[in-house]
Amino acid sequence: MAELTHYEALDVARGATPDDIRKAYEHGLAVYDEAGVATYSLLDGDQRRAARKRIEEAYRILSDPALRAAYDEQMTLARAASGAVDASGRPHPIKLPDPVTGADLKRFRESRGVTLARIAAESKVGQRTFEDIEGDRFNRLPAVVYVRGFLREYARAVGLDPVATAESFVARLPRRSP
Amino acid sequence: MSNALPALVPRTASRQMWSVGGGKGGIGKSVITAALGWQLARLGKRVVLVDADLGGANLHTCLGVPAPQRSLADFVTRRVERIEQAAVETNFPRLRLISGAADLLTAANIKHQQKVRLLSHLRTIDADIVLMDLGAGTSFNILDFFLMSDVNLLVIVPEPTSVENGYRFIKSALFRRLRSVCEDTEAQEILDFAMDPSNLRGIRTPVELLSAVENDCPDALPPLKAALAAFRPRFIVNQVRGPADAAIGPQLVTACARHLGIRASHAGSVYHDDAVWQAVRQKRLFAAEDPDGMAAQSIRQIARGLLQGEPMKFDW
Repeated sequence: MAELTHYEALDVARGATPDDIRKAYEHGLAVYDEAGVATYSLLDGDQRRAARKRIEEAYRILSDPALRAAYDEQMTLARAASGAVDASGRPHPIKLPDPVTGADLKRFRESRGVTLARIAAESKVGQRTFEDIEGDRFNRLPAVVYVRGFLREYARAVGLDPVATAESFVARLPRRSP
Repeated sequence: MSNALPALVPRTASRQMWSVGGGKGGIGKSVITAALGWQLARLGKRVVLVDADLGGANLHTCLGVPAPQRSLADFVTRRVERIEQAAVETNFPRLRLISGAADLLTAANIKHQQKVRLLSHLRTIDADIVLMDLGAGTSFNILDFFLMSDVNLLVIVPEPTSVENGYRFIKSALFRRLRSVCEDTEAQEILDFAMDPSNLRGIRTPVELLSAVENDCPDALPPLKAALAAFRPRFIVNQVRGPADAAIGPQLVTACARHLGIRASHAGSVYHDDAVWQAVRQKRLFAAEDPDGMAAQSIRQIARGLLQGEPMKFDW
């Protein structure tokens, strides 16, 4: 959820009233509540905690008129200055070299302070698989359809565009006879 | 296969097929179906209830009707040729019942050919609404009844196990629908890979599935996207005991949208009401016994909302 705007995190429109925002906040917390039923079987405890934290942060900003105004202005300025956000305020994905190598991915991941152990835990994919990806050890990787899935998980965890990153990486995989 | 069905439908076809699934037994699905059918009939619709819980039919009991002499089994085994011959009147105007009772083993293990005949004939019933009570579980037979319906209702109760089964039911139904509309062999392989319960890595949600198809075989994507967009399950939350429980329906809708990519809606909540189990124990239809009770009023609201066409929109 790292790439969501505060509005998206609460699932409200840019023009939402304070009352809309409070209701959306309460609803959002309930969706990810530890004792609730809505996401119990879809997400694990850490994921739900992270989701609640994101909602809390969004509410902290959007429920405070001064902070919200500053945030809105910041979004507008950023959009105007660099075109780095789209119309809904979502930041554009960061671009890495294309095709991207395992070493590029590793450098980017480390710059973000994300460990492989965390990606493995979040994605429920073995850490060794991600080590093989970063090491470009193609012969140890499974079929392309799996590698794509792993790359998407990896990209999501470090804040890259999942689809583009996966495509860019698998483009370098040697073609195997079926 | 569901694609092939409309061609078999004659002009006298019922206006709408509704089905009530749940994925889990013992959550009040049959009681709700009976009451909903009764309420729809009361609102002027000609309704035929179909007990499609082939292995454990009990809709007649919820309606306060003695075990009918005729049932779906008579149609399946061709003791009667037209499905309407299996229908019996109830004590209520405009409400008929096709029971699923009798010949349990035969009916529960209904063969593919028999199922195709049953599904196509259900559409021929002369009624405004054919309302089907589905059995528990996610077998292909149950999913096919669900998928052939115009209105897909899903009963859950505010318990983790019920919600988990509800999500499983939705995902199973959707993946079966996607598989049935997919003609591209490469995309079919991706679908089969995603549906394989032993493989939980890589593709876990419909969104991830479609993104995998988009990458590998973009030409196969449009029908799958259309099927996902058209898939609109509607939750009925049963046995609600307070405001916290009543908020669960909208929470499920949000969770489906965010984590499964499925546009579900909330048809309504049914309040817990002692009158319900008292009526069930006396083998009577609770809604008719106490039309102004909490549960009966909830059902009335749900019926009205569903008849208005669009599912009740969730309002913050």
